[in-house]
Amino acid sequence: MPVKYVCQVCGYVYDGGKEAPFDSLPESWKCPLCGAPKGEFRPAAAAPAAAEAAVPAPLEGELGPFTAGQMAALCSSLGRGCEKQYKAEEAALFRELSAWFAAAEPPAEDASVEALADALRADVADYPSLRAAADAAGDRGAARICVWGEKVTRMLSSLLDRYAREGEAMLAGQEIWVCTTCGFVWIGEAPPELCPVCKVPAWKFEKAEGGVKA
Amino acid sequence: MKKLAVRNIRLCTKDCLCLYVCPTGATDTENSVIDPRKCIGCGVCAEACPSGAISLVPLEMPPQQPKTEEIKVLLRAFARRRSEEEAAARAIGAGTEKEGLRKLMAAAAMSTRLVTEDVLREAGFMLPQCPEVREILEKLADEPPAADFPEETLWRLLGKLPMAGGSGEKKEIRYRCSLCGFVFPLPEGEEPECPVCGAKGDKLTPVAGE
Repeated sequence: MPVKYVCQVCGYVYDGGKEAPFDSLPESWKCPLCGAPKGEFRPAAAAPAAAEAAVPAPLEGELGPFTAGQMAALCSSLGRGCEKQYKAEEAALFRELSAWFAAAEPPAEDASVEALADALRADVADYPSLRAAADAAGDRGAARICVWGEKVTRMLSSLLDRYAREGEAMLAGQEIWVCTTCGFVWIGEAPPELCPVCKVPAWKFEKAEGGVKA
Repeated sequence: MKKLAVRNIRLCTKDCLCLYVCPTGATDTENSVIDPRKCIGCGVCAEACPSGAISLVPLEMPPQQPKTEEIKVLLRAFARRRSEEEAAARAIGAGTEKEGLRKLMAAAAMSTRLVTEDVLREAGFMLPQCPEVREILEKLADEPPAADFPEETLWRLLGKLPMAGGSGEKKEIRYRCSLCGFVFPLPEGEEPECPVCGAKGDKLTPVAGE
């Protein structure tokens, strides 16, 4: 029986040799560092999750024109790039373009929490293939974003699953915080001291405001 | 590569060694922003700062890392999926009365947007001033996607964004001030003025070499 279990979101190691055996923990138990559910832990001895997909499924795609949604993200990303170079005016111009594209995007039809949770699960499942393709191409940057991307998507996916089970009670008296660097989502009264995924300080977290429905 | 010193105000603890070492007084500003017109990029302030609050930002960026066609295709397809998830999260959030769900969907939209941004950067759009971005912006200028598209914003952006490793780089000339002895660089064609003592005209003579 494995004793140590590792959180797939933040890397926290639960040592069942020093504490209660992992299997005896209740299903509601959460990672003390990042809040990931028990189901996101894997035995420490086992190979990492990336190796679970032994033969990566082929991903498909084509270099078509960008959709409005992609353009919104591209422009906000470039705005961030300008900010890092202290080009405040260019950053603001990119953000303006991003906002226009976001507004121009046709609203999603038949959107539901269930469908979104399914899509996120599919993303988590596809990250190992993407990672394998990046490694095969020797693309260090593309491989790197798969690491954070998979972790934050796992977290978001698990939170949607939890919401499906627990409903509004899950968020009573709590705020939701998003790491503005990697996208990690945290539930609590205050943001964590350090992002469990990318390790930026608390001030890099932004509170998710649902807005008031008229 | 020409650089400019910038101060991170979150780290600055007002030790003020930069004031002491800066040869041009560029760090001596009321609002703590190092004056880019005076900074000559020598880096002595960054070396002297005990709190590590000053860094040097390159004015010209190296070209982006090359990307294979396969990776571009994969990442763009993935970015599309992720951006559709963001749109779905927004639609769910807009269509519910439940406060918790609205917040959760706002968080989902923010998180998926950040991930999509990461994916698109690695799909070959890391640097705002790269030729790939320029091409997209110029195409938008040629064929605006809608009548209410903010074309003026786009044109301002095209005017402001320098190209990475572009051909428009100007040669630099170094001048020596005959009044105070200070030597400073300036792009060719600009009217020199000594950043230390303010001397102009024939008080400044071009000097050879680095």
